Amino acid sequence: MTSTRTTEDTLRATRRAFLTSSASGLGAAALASLITTDHVMGADRPTRPTPHFPPRARAAIFIFLAGGTSQLELFDPKPKLRELTGQKLPESFTKKERFAFIEPEKARIMPSRFGFRRYGDCGMEMSELLPGIGAVADRITLVRSTHTDSFDHGPAEILFATGDDSPGRPSAGAWISYGLGSESRELPSYVVLMTGRGPVSRSLTWGNAFLPNAHAGVLFRQTGEPLLNLSNPPGVPVEAQRAQLDAIRELNRQRFKKVPDPRITDRIEAYELAFRMQASAPGLIDLRGESARTHEEYGTGRPGAEEAGFATNCLLARRLVERGVRFVSLFHRRWDHHSGIQEKLRKNCHIVDRPIGALIRDLEQRGLLDDTLVVCGTEFGRTPVTQNSSPGPGAGRDHHRLAFTTWMAGGGARRGHVVGATDELGWRPVENAVHVHDLYATILHLFGIRHEELTFRHRGLDFRLTDQGGRVVEDALA
Amino acid sequence: MLRSWLVMLVLPLLAVADGTATDHWSFSPPRRHEPGVLRDGSWSRCEIDRLVLARLEAEALRPSPPADRGTLIRRLHLDLVGLPPSPAEVDAFLADSNPDAYDKLVDRLLASPRFGERWARHWLDLARYADSNGYEDDRFRPDAWRYRDWVVESIHRDQPFDEFTVEQIAGDLLENATYEQQVATGFHRMPPANKVGVASNQEEFRIKTAKERTNTTGSVWLGLTVGCAECHDHKYDPISQREYYELFAFFNSTDEAEIDAPPLGESHHRKYREALAAYRSKPRENGNNEPQPPSSKALVLLEREQRRVSHVHLRGSFLDKGQTVTPGVPHSLPELRRRGETADRLDLARWIVDPLHPLTARVEANRIWQRLFGRGLVSSPENFGIEGPRPSHPALLDWLALRLLERGWSRKSMVREIVRSSTYRQSSRPRQDLARVDPGNRLLARQSRFAVEAEIVRDLTLASSGLLEPAIGGPSVQPPLPTSLASATALKNERFREEDTGADRYRRGLYINVQRTFLYPALKAFDAADPNVSCARRERSSSPLQALTLLNEPSFVECARALGRHLAQLPCGSGARIEHAFRRCLGRAPESAEVDVLRDLVEQLDRLYTLRPQDARELTGEDDTSDTAPWIAVARTIYNLEELITRE
Repeated sequence: MTSTRTTEDTLRATRRAFLTSSASGLGAAALASLITTDHVMGADRPTRPTPHFPPRARAAIFIFLAGGTSQLELFDPKPKLRELTGQKLPESFTKKERFAFIEPEKARIMPSRFGFRRYGDCGMEMSELLPGIGAVADRITLVRSTHTDSFDHGPAEILFATGDDSPGRPSAGAWISYGLGSESRELPSYVVLMTGRGPVSRSLTWGNAFLPNAHAGVLFRQTGEPLLNLSNPPGVPVEAQRAQLDAIRELNRQRFKKVPDPRITDRIEAYELAFRMQASAPGLIDLRGESARTHEEYGTGRPGAEEAGFATNCLLARRLVERGVRFVSLFHRRWDHHSGIQEKLRKNCHIVDRPIGALIRDLEQRGLLDDTLVVCGTEFGRTPVTQNSSPGPGAGRDHHRLAFTTWMAGGGARRGHVVGATDELGWRPVENAVHVHDLYATILHLFGIRHEELTFRHRGLDFRLTDQGGRVVEDALA
Repeated sequence: MLRSWLVMLVLPLLAVADGTATDHWSFSPPRRHEPGVLRDGSWSRCEIDRLVLARLEAEALRPSPPADRGTLIRRLHLDLVGLPPSPAEVDAFLADSNPDAYDKLVDRLLASPRFGERWARHWLDLARYADSNGYEDDRFRPDAWRYRDWVVESIHRDQPFDEFTVEQIAGDLLENATYEQQVATGFHRMPPANKVGVASNQEEFRIKTAKERTNTTGSVWLGLTVGCAECHDHKYDPISQREYYELFAFFNSTDEAEIDAPPLGESHHRKYREALAAYRSKPRENGNNEPQPPSSKALVLLEREQRRVSHVHLRGSFLDKGQTVTPGVPHSLPELRRRGETADRLDLARWIVDPLHPLTARVEANRIWQRLFGRGLVSSPENFGIEGPRPSHPALLDWLALRLLERGWSRKSMVREIVRSSTYRQSSRPRQDLARVDPGNRLLARQSRFAVEAEIVRDLTLASSGLLEPAIGGPSVQPPLPTSLASATALKNERFREEDTGADRYRRGLYINVQRTFLYPALKAFDAADPNVSCARRERSSSPLQALTLLNEPSFVECARALGRHLAQLPCGSGARIEHAFRRCLGRAPESAEVDVLRDLVEQLDRLYTLRPQDARELTGEDDTSDTAPWIAVARTIYNLEELITRE
């Protein structure tokens, strides 16, 4: 936490200046965005980053496979595990380390339940379960040396989403929305799409905490009302709604003449935006205009609610980014495979692999991938040993915080490249270890933000996404 | 004589020289300041006014004229009880020409149990109150409301703030602690709890929670960010890492426990039986819990019989233990008096409310001021440390702190004294001449004009529509949530999916279930406090999502429908109906131009709904739609005015 002391009066003047100069780059978008807040105008007015370098990413799609995805089956091939099948881990590995469920005496080394293939010109090794993602391997930076602090879902999810393992911090999406604002006048700057059950920590993973409410992720649904309270109440046709909005505006305007408080004009503006949102958001989820080929590639018509649902969300993510939404979180849960990892991974990969591959290709074909950063992560990885059973198709793996894999594509991330490496057992990084904090420093860097300088004053102190540290992973940059 | 002179002169110097104290303003005790000679003596009603005016005159500014009486009664109602005045109450106040009419109104509101509810919510923000555990699955915490009700009751009966403090921090250690004194320790049962997380992590979480209690005690009572010293010495304030762990040691030797509480009435058991039957009649969804019978427990904190040894945690890691420490307080603050060999929480609590403590009374007085002016004299109520902003009126803050002590820590007396002042009664109308010199209204040349809190937005519409269910206390209630939302967010606990029916749907916002990982959307949209951390100050935003909520969210539409029906049934013309609606919602009569706007709306919608009887039926929910639909539109329009949710 660093300190910046500025008087409120100057801050308000600054805000005015920002609001009137439309082309002052970073920050201007935020201030001219959907929302105004007293907080922003008050003593807690933040210091905003000035772009030190041109941003590579304009928007992000953050895919979160909640539960703890197994890097050993999907991203980080460890042939040595086959050799050591059925053995215990050396004590030097387990000493001083705490585990969620395994007892080092009972847990046995288990090789990957699936084979690996080389994908793309770069020859990146990934699971045979991931042909869709494999097909875009040449666009991907695979970070095999990711690590985190907690081996418990709740805290680990919160840490992966906010940089801190206790609740009470803004999510990365909220930070980026706050730093850069929205480019859309009709949509929130941060949108959340969920398939099946969400992350166990729910809104804490997309919340705004102490940042202004405008930066909270807003849940979008793919059918019915895309967002809550978007539709007029029963019996209020659009003409009636318009008539009432006109009356509201007129009465607010009359009030403003008597009480010249800018809060009233903010309110008038909010209602106009709400009306525009009502007009445009339903079109967003109307996918009839997408070609049959697009639907086919994403797999939106596949049998199975989760299969079709996740594919539709991937397609919606593209449409949101296309319309200027800054940050989209795409959640899929159920990667917590303590048993039966073989069958469960096969099913899950079937759900997510094709749509994710299609999303990246689609973004590329539309020229969006250059400035859209796609990130795929999970709260921790899984252990190279079974969860206290003998290795076999029915076995599973325990939570593992010391090493797992995340990946990025587009938005200035390096193409067809592997960052870092783990030891022979996939136990811990041996090269270029990347903590979650480092990942966020890197993501902010791609957005043209120096992570030390994106701060928000709260409780009289300056907070940031990377309060606990973080370095930009140069090796991951294009 | 000479000796005491020397002591006075030398002691402070010594203290600074050996680094044990700081000359930071909030670390020395509050003292009396003379306002000096005022040019305009007639404006001031009390010392508060003299101190405010002294500052204004120094800046060559004049205070604003008093707000009109209609504004004053609505302001007082919103600030003190969080409900709008009824038209009859407004009329009576406007007609009362007695000089003590205002004071009588204040006293009536302070005596209302609604004051307890309204001000309890402020305290619950600080107490990180929630009806769920947080973290994985965020299970229901069925007994939290016992603590909430204790707070409501305590504030209602104006329990002195020192007692209120001691009972919450150490009620269990009081001799022959009563049930209420034990329930008060529920304050420190409110932090999030990682109950579903893996078992091997429980010690880590026990310690994490003890640290959370330490940090929250620091910010709520001392206005200090003690948590900054968890990993290293505090960067700004005189709190070393070792001192942090000495504070932590007070909370490291506690156990969480449940005690028997008075049983709930039959209606709650009936509700449970119905919920259970409903649960059993439908197919099991993965992860849903069976409804639980009504609980008659309360959550408390107890001192452990066997004291735990506390250590400094190197770099904050509980696995990395440094020197052992015993309970103690930072030595830049007054000395702690302990009753036994080792200090305990009761010693700590009494130290916090010692009249000589420089921070506690200032921090609480500042918060009371904040609730009545929209911002504190210190604008960061949770940080009185070196990095926090300075008070805008140091002399006034000191005077308030001393007054709070003088009046035996009575919060109601303090509120009464503030709202009687001329400073409080000023108009909040923005002034051209202040816009440049004091845009944040720090100098108090006018009252502030600001949005009411999320719960009050709800209460305002419920009250003015006539739907409000006035019951006080009891288990939290669950208003309906869209089913799509419940499944999208995988609300694991059945409690959050069982919507309450009947009158419970119309309870005040205070009584809505607070789920840590998913706040009730209609409250979240209006900046409800994040219940995961202590919140001393809410944000006030204005957003299109708020507009959509007030326009379309079913509970607000239901209020508009109820008010609209009522208006349509009034045996009078449209002008009088519009006036009635204004008075119920805004506490004032409309201007003629305002009447014109709404009359046009009625006529326009009358034509529209005559052509579209099906829409009229859907909006009104009735077959006889002759006149009602346009009046629902009028109600809905008023519910969406900026003025409705603004305290002027």
